[in-house]
Amino acid sequence: MRARARSRRTIGLRGDEALTLDLFAPLETTAAVTARTLAPPESRQSPRPLPLWLAVSFPMLPVVALSDPDSVQAVIEGPPGQQRLVALSAAAESLGLRRDLSRTAAEIRVPTLTWCERRPELEARALEARARAAFALTSFVSLEPPDTLLLEIRGSLRLFGGLEALIERALAALGTARIPATYAVAPTVRAALWLVRGQPGVRVESLAALPGVLARLPLSVTDFDATVRSTCERLGLSTIGELARLPRAGIARRLSPAVPRWLDEAFGREAQPRRRHVLAVRFTEALALPAESTSTVALWPWCTRLLQAQERFLVQRDAAITQCRLRLHHRSGQPPTMLTLERSLPSARAQEWLALLEERLGRLDLCAPVVAVALRSGAVSPAVPLEEGLDLSGRDGRAASARLLDRLRARLGEEAVQGMCLIPAHCPESAFRRVRPTWPSAAAVSDALPCTPRPLWLLSAPQALLLRGTRPWYGGPLQVLSGPERIESGWWSGQGIARDYYIACAPTGARLWIYRERVATPQAGWFLHGVFA
Amino acid sequence: MKGPLEAILQDAGVWRGIDPSTTHAGLCCPSGWPRLDAALAGGGWPLGTLIELLLPTHGLGELRLLLPALCQLVVIAPGSDPRWLVWVSPPHEPYPPALAQSGLNPGGLLRIEAPLPADRLWAVEQVLRSGSAAAVLCWIDAVDDRWLRRLKLAAQGQSVLLIAFRPSARRGTTSPASLRIELMPTTEGLDLDVLKARGRAPTRVAHVFGT
Repeated sequence: MRARARSRRTIGLRGDEALTLDLFAPLETTAAVTARTLAPPESRQSPRPLPLWLAVSFPMLPVVALSDPDSVQAVIEGPPGQQRLVALSAAAESLGLRRDLSRTAAEIRVPTLTWCERRPELEARALEARARAAFALTSFVSLEPPDTLLLEIRGSLRLFGGLEALIERALAALGTARIPATYAVAPTVRAALWLVRGQPGVRVESLAALPGVLARLPLSVTDFDATVRSTCERLGLSTIGELARLPRAGIARRLSPAVPRWLDEAFGREAQPRRRHVLAVRFTEALALPAESTSTVALWPWCTRLLQAQERFLVQRDAAITQCRLRLHHRSGQPPTMLTLERSLPSARAQEWLALLEERLGRLDLCAPVVAVALRSGAVSPAVPLEEGLDLSGRDGRAASARLLDRLRARLGEEAVQGMCLIPAHCPESAFRRVRPTWPSAAAVSDALPCTPRPLWLLSAPQALLLRGTRPWYGGPLQVLSGPERIESGWWSGQGIARDYYIACAPTGARLWIYRERVATPQAGWFLHGVFA
Repeated sequence: MKGPLEAILQDAGVWRGIDPSTTHAGLCCPSGWPRLDAALAGGGWPLGTLIELLLPTHGLGELRLLLPALCQLVVIAPGSDPRWLVWVSPPHEPYPPALAQSGLNPGGLLRIEAPLPADRLWAVEQVLRSGSAAAVLCWIDAVDDRWLRRLKLAAQGQSVLLIAFRPSARRGTTSPASLRIELMPTTEGLDLDVLKARGRAPTRVAHVFGT
């Protein structure tokens, strides 16, 4: 409904070119258009430039997207018995085959034909990979499945030095030297899509030149469905120009209501918003090794490549990560080896990640030969550009400390690096807890502390002391220096303690913290719990 | 006319042990024990170098000996970042309530457990190179001379107190440490036998503190 209303207004304003052009900006809201239409005339001095679309089509995508494209000559699609060729390799084309040929016919012509079923998911992934490369040239890329990309290039023309230079750069970035591609440039989306099929290589930069070029295109390049096309054929229409000359109402009634709208879009009389392709938020890539690897040293270059690719990926998005996971795939049957790398501060730099990986790989025992390496980045956060800080000495305390902890954890394990914190509890062994260290704190301790002396060393578990007569013995008779201090706590939790603590002197000169268990249990007796070091 | 001895002493490569004017004591941190300070060139623990403490057993007061210096070292200078107090493979759990009683915040403690001697030395070196530690206490036994030299080098130029605790049995072995002290517990307290000190003659410090 809205589209129709806008269309009517557009047609009404056709005489005013600046305004008409304005209306075809991609994804512009109706409200914005209305606001500009109502604005005073002087504000029309610099109209928003007309978009220019570069459509790049990869007709061989169904073939090249396959994991082993060299062994396949044709890709087929369709229900059994009606399979048709949808894409051909260069070798197959030189044998005289062409698209849309049925499989049976193709096999009669070339009995040795090797073919493969179409794999849409692989094609989508391959197209997405090319879209990623296209972001080097423009910020607006739209995927037009199955095999076409649309790039809005008006904004990039000056930066890349004109249309010719830009097209050259685009084709190079999209890898068209390896995978054949066709392209067309037009100021509307639909015209670009039709031209890339019907007249590859054409460049139409203005709306005024568009009708003349489009008029000559055959109807076979359009997106009209088979019924519409056969009706056109019966009516004797073979080109878009012939169709466009007919009255709109008649076309809508006799062919399809969609046809006049499509023509409007193609000729630039109506906007055709495209969805901007959004890049994936996580980096995921796998590399198959050329040969099975039994040593971690041989994995190093592959891991480096993956981490460098990840860095490029993250830099494109101005992002950084704190975690990534490397998966080493073994031959089938063996579960993959997972290496999780973690940093306290987000970073995109491959070098930082390699430093951590070095510690992990160096200590890794491979359980089986590795056949592939895969990397998956963790959640992405915005990049912290000044990670090194502005300190010219190059020693930003926080970053240095975080890097140290990451490195220690990577080599010694998560559990081996610990910080401490106090817990207000009476039971000596519950009065502290090990924590994951992040940043040293040197503030004064405010928690209530025991008012009697505590030993600097605490034994991880109380050690039962021998008795000689009634006196506890530790390498000799212990001499009690002070005590007792009674600690009774935790009876409510079922793990209560009832102890009398003493400070005793051992014959070696060491001062010990010992206690006598007051609970009448088989474990009753004297225990060593700490050392006053 | 200079005598042959004076000519030798003019040589920059010759280091005169007992002349305080020629020693480069470098940064020092008062130990908090006046008798010990008097026996050390610079009046305290030398920073940025390796100190070796030899003990017959654990728990003789070796931590009490260090606590005053540690408390001073973790105090943050204005404009600088707080630094860790690192314990590498201590023989027992450092008990946070006792440290807090002595004035050390347990939040600044970093405990690193490395069962393998090679990992232990590696960890100490990493900590020193990062520059984010105010003091490093490590417990090591048999170790290659070269490794100790490496640690000493890593500490150089930093205001870090690097202490290696080693058993008394290592007294006879050579060591690149700038300061070697053997702890001798007595019935009244602790005696220190200074085996090697930069800029001072070896001496014995009796009764550093009582029990």
